[in-house]
Amino acid sequence: MTHFRARGPFQCAPKGRTAWSRSGPLSQFMAVFLAWSLIGVSSLLAQQPKPTAYEVKAAYLYNFGKFVEWPAKVTAGNNEPFTICVLGKDPFGASLDATIAGEAIDGKSVLAKRISKPQEALNCRVLFISSSEDAQLKEILATLEKTSVLTVSDMSQFTRRGGMIQFVDDANRVRFEVNLTIAERAGLTLSSQLLKVAISARRNS
Amino acid sequence: MLRVRGHSITKKLTRMNMLVSGAALLLACLAFVAYDVLAIRQAIVHNLSIQAQIAGSNSVSALLFNDPHDAEKTLSALKAAPNILSAHIYTTGGLPFATYSRERGGKAPTLPAIPAGQTEAHWFKDGQIVLVRSIIFQAKPTGSVYIQSDLREINDRLKRYAGIAAIVLLTSLLAALLVSSIFQRAVAEPITHLAGIAGVVSRDKDYSVRATPTGSRDELATLIETFNEMLAQIQERDGALQKAHHELKQRVQELARRAQELARSNAELEQFAYVASHDLQEPLRMVASYTQLLGQRYKGRLDSDADEFIAYAVDGAHRMQLLIGDLLAYCRVGTTGKELCETSSEAALEQALLNLQGAIQESSGVVTHDPLPTVVADGSQLVQLFQNVVGNAIKYRSAELPRVHVSAKKNGGNEWIFSMRDNGLGIEPKYFGKIFVMFQRLHGREEFSGTGIGLTVCKKIAERHGGRMWVESEPGKGSTFYVALPERG
Repeated sequence: MTHFRARGPFQCAPKGRTAWSRSGPLSQFMAVFLAWSLIGVSSLLAQQPKPTAYEVKAAYLYNFGKFVEWPAKVTAGNNEPFTICVLGKDPFGASLDATIAGEAIDGKSVLAKRISKPQEALNCRVLFISSSEDAQLKEILATLEKTSVLTVSDMSQFTRRGGMIQFVDDANRVRFEVNLTIAERAGLTLSSQLLKVAISARRNS
Repeated sequence: MLRVRGHSITKKLTRMNMLVSGAALLLACLAFVAYDVLAIRQAIVHNLSIQAQIAGSNSVSALLFNDPHDAEKTLSALKAAPNILSAHIYTTGGLPFATYSRERGGKAPTLPAIPAGQTEAHWFKDGQIVLVRSIIFQAKPTGSVYIQSDLREINDRLKRYAGIAAIVLLTSLLAALLVSSIFQRAVAEPITHLAGIAGVVSRDKDYSVRATPTGSRDELATLIETFNEMLAQIQERDGALQKAHHELKQRVQELARRAQELARSNAELEQFAYVASHDLQEPLRMVASYTQLLGQRYKGRLDSDADEFIAYAVDGAHRMQLLIGDLLAYCRVGTTGKELCETSSEAALEQALLNLQGAIQESSGVVTHDPLPTVVADGSQLVQLFQNVVGNAIKYRSAELPRVHVSAKKNGGNEWIFSMRDNGLGIEPKYFGKIFVMFQRLHGREEFSGTGIGLTVCKKIAERHGGRMWVESEPGKGSTFYVALPERG
């Protein structure tokens, strides 16, 4: 919109008799200057590189921790760090570690852990299940049946299949769905703040 | 005129009352308004702060999970506050995230910087207030809220205040006018009345008027009371003064009448003495001449007793001639004196000494004098005065050679004081008065000749010139006679 409006005077040049209609050296200089400054502004905006989908997801994984309440038996351990686990093929690369570096939730340092077996996830707070585990999902969820691990994944139909939070790529934005019934069954309380920004919060399994 | 003056004090009092109450009210109103505006501003800031806090904390998840629509939904709740013109949420990077604007097409402005160390800042500008608050979630800045509000609340309230203040001021001034008109009766009227009375007293010199007391016990009542007391005192004193003046006038008239009478009788007496002595001279000369003739023709032809008796008669007649001569001389001082003119007293003294030359030489006396002034006097009488005094000094001399010194000096009262000092017998103080009385002598005829009229004549001459004469003396040490003559006759 800014570009459009700024271009207005050039478009009007042939019709209106404004100061711009004269093609003197000064007006030429002004035109060049204006163009440059516009380029400068847009390049300035472009300087912040758009984060990749997994960078956003890494941040979300961390942020979920702020809006979810775990049962007391999980939070009681004072010295245990807040662990975010990735099961299967890690799609985040370095971005997850970059996101949680130096961060803390409820006074506990945040730790990222890559695991390959669902049995290793028992002490995790948040478990991201990579798409590579799509085939074993049923077993994985069954393993975590009696635990309070927040399960997150971006595999399709995750919430329908018994997962709690599922990432949904929506027109260049990363959004998420929630299956509240599963989360509540695991003793997790999801804050209304979280639910209101979710695409949907289903109650049936 | 007094009425106008009284009127003006009423006006002044009214104006004063109005001014005082008006000023007090205005100040009070201003103070209230100022206080209230400050309080409203604080309240507005407080409200905005709360709204920003609510909007911010409700937008945390939207910010963290990148959901601008949700944030805008949160912001749009601000519709309920009609004073909020626009509200925006910014990311931590300061980029616009969500926007709410009362009017369509509102764009998020560049985020103003919050001073370091604060979570909130606000600015009053162009009748608006802008408040920016950073959104803190779990001790971490998550974004910023920007709220822009108009100040119509303050403006509306100010307008309402102006209306109320105007009404209160108007009614209060009316009340003040009413009250002051009541109190004026208690203050202005007694003063006007007092001014009127004072005017009457000053114009008519009538001290019998009195101001009417007000009946209340205040300073005004005291003033009126004191004024009346003063009037009473003045009246009393005025009466006494009038009386004294009257009495004095009467006494002066009486004195003048008596003085006139005295002068007349004195003149008559002098005239009588003069006429009598003048007329007595002729028969006395007869008696003297014929007794003398009788003594010469019949000496030895009658018996010795007859000769002796005739001698006594002749002597008595001669003495009587002398007395009558002196009496005439005394009378002449008043009746036959010449006009007073500028006369050299030194020349007069020279003449007197010339007249006394024989007596002075005979006694080997020395008469000296300082330079003497010119005075307004009768020259021949002045000669007579000097002659009598110097003559007396020679006559009543002591065993020493007589010395007389004449000098003159001015005193403070425009008089010339002549002093004639001798080294004669001197006079006892108790006789100082007596020597100036006619025919009074301190010595027997056997000691000193004379009739005892010389100093009386001198005194009369001094008095005729408007002067005085007196003596200072001590027996055995000589006498000083003083004559005071006025500088101008």
